[in-house]
Amino acid sequence: MTKRISSTIARGSGELAILSLLAEQPLYGFEIARQIGQRTGGALQFTLASLYPLLYEMEKRGWVEGHWQANQAGRDRRYYRLTTAGRKQLAPLREEWRSFFQALDSLAGVSHA
Amino acid sequence: MKPDWTELVRERLALPCTEDVVSELASHLEEIYADACARGTSDTDAIRIALEQVGDWQVLGGEIARTKSEEESMNDGTMNNRTKTVLLPAIAVLFGVGLMLLFVDRAAILPRVVWFVCIALLLCAAASEANRLNLRTKSLWLPGFVSLTAASVLMFAEEFILVHDPSFYFTDISLRPSHLISGLPRWFYIVWLLVQVPCGALGAFLSRRSGGTRVLRIVAGAFPALTMFFLCGLLIPISAFFEHNTFALSHPSGLALGVLIWAAVPAVAMLLGAAPFLKESTLPIA
Repeated sequence: MTKRISSTIARGSGELAILSLLAEQPLYGFEIARQIGQRTGGALQFTLASLYPLLYEMEKRGWVEGHWQANQAGRDRRYYRLTTAGRKQLAPLREEWRSFFQALDSLAGVSHA
Repeated sequence: MKPDWTELVRERLALPCTEDVVSELASHLEEIYADACARGTSDTDAIRIALEQVGDWQVLGGEIARTKSEEESMNDGTMNNRTKTVLLPAIAVLFGVGLMLLFVDRAAILPRVVWFVCIALLLCAAASEANRLNLRTKSLWLPGFVSLTAASVLMFAEEFILVHDPSFYFTDISLRPSHLISGLPRWFYIVWLLVQVPCGALGAFLSRRSGGTRVLRIVAGAFPALTMFFLCGLLIPISAFFEHNTFALSHPSGLALGVLIWAAVPAVAMLLGAAPFLKESTLPIA
């Protein structure tokens, strides 16, 4: 079973996680949280309280934009999609995290054996 | 019974959030609830699972309000006009005037009035720039200092109205407990305690309005008492120790009584005032 990552680290990595998911397809909040949990084997989990302030912050920066859309059952959901600015942000963010893990690895040996 | 999630979010956030935010959060909670029900979870547990996603509504509301208010005021990054053209110049002028008056007559009432007005304007300036403040500053420090200023102004007013005697030194009460049951000091203390109630209410109210948690509301409400505790319980004994003040050091009961009279009892009065603003709302069921 994957160990759950502490909320502080999860929050720090949240921007990258959300941008990566939205780069594939537009998603609504519940689905973003569900997919992050599923794809990381539960290691990264976003609650409503941690997800929406981050989404709104990213929306404010112009990285994502939301629009309401009704599904087949008639339930309204606010879908988020990546903007051009958000797409530009993704590559440097990935690079930043890669450098971070390399630095942490050389310092504390945290990569897999 | 299925909860009315929209109404629940609107009530619990208790902030001027847009309907978009309320609808989106309600929709998210409804999905969690429906998901849990579909997995065979009981109705009560499904509601609990959904609500656990939020934890502290005040914190969430504060964070969303901060994000949204910054979004609305993303102008050129400068101070707003009222702060720049009215409040800061007024504070600067009054500060200079207050200093001059102190040199002219140290015992006069006017410098104290100028000082209070100066602090009030400073707090107004901070409130005007609230969008730039973080949640802790908005929900703890600002309400706390407003409460402290209100308590100081009311004490000054009380001294001015009740006492009229420049030789009266109110902290003598803690060194002479017999004063508490006779004459002017007794009335002074009773009235002083009564005015702490609205001060506590004011601090807790402002903290709640800014999205403060229950703990922050309690601290903001009791802020003047905490200041007095710092003064009577820590600062005075420590300075007495380092200054070899034999009188203060040989009267530890006076210091303890000072903490009780000027910090502990007023804290209770302030918390009484703060109490109505500490309640969480209840769960509405549709």
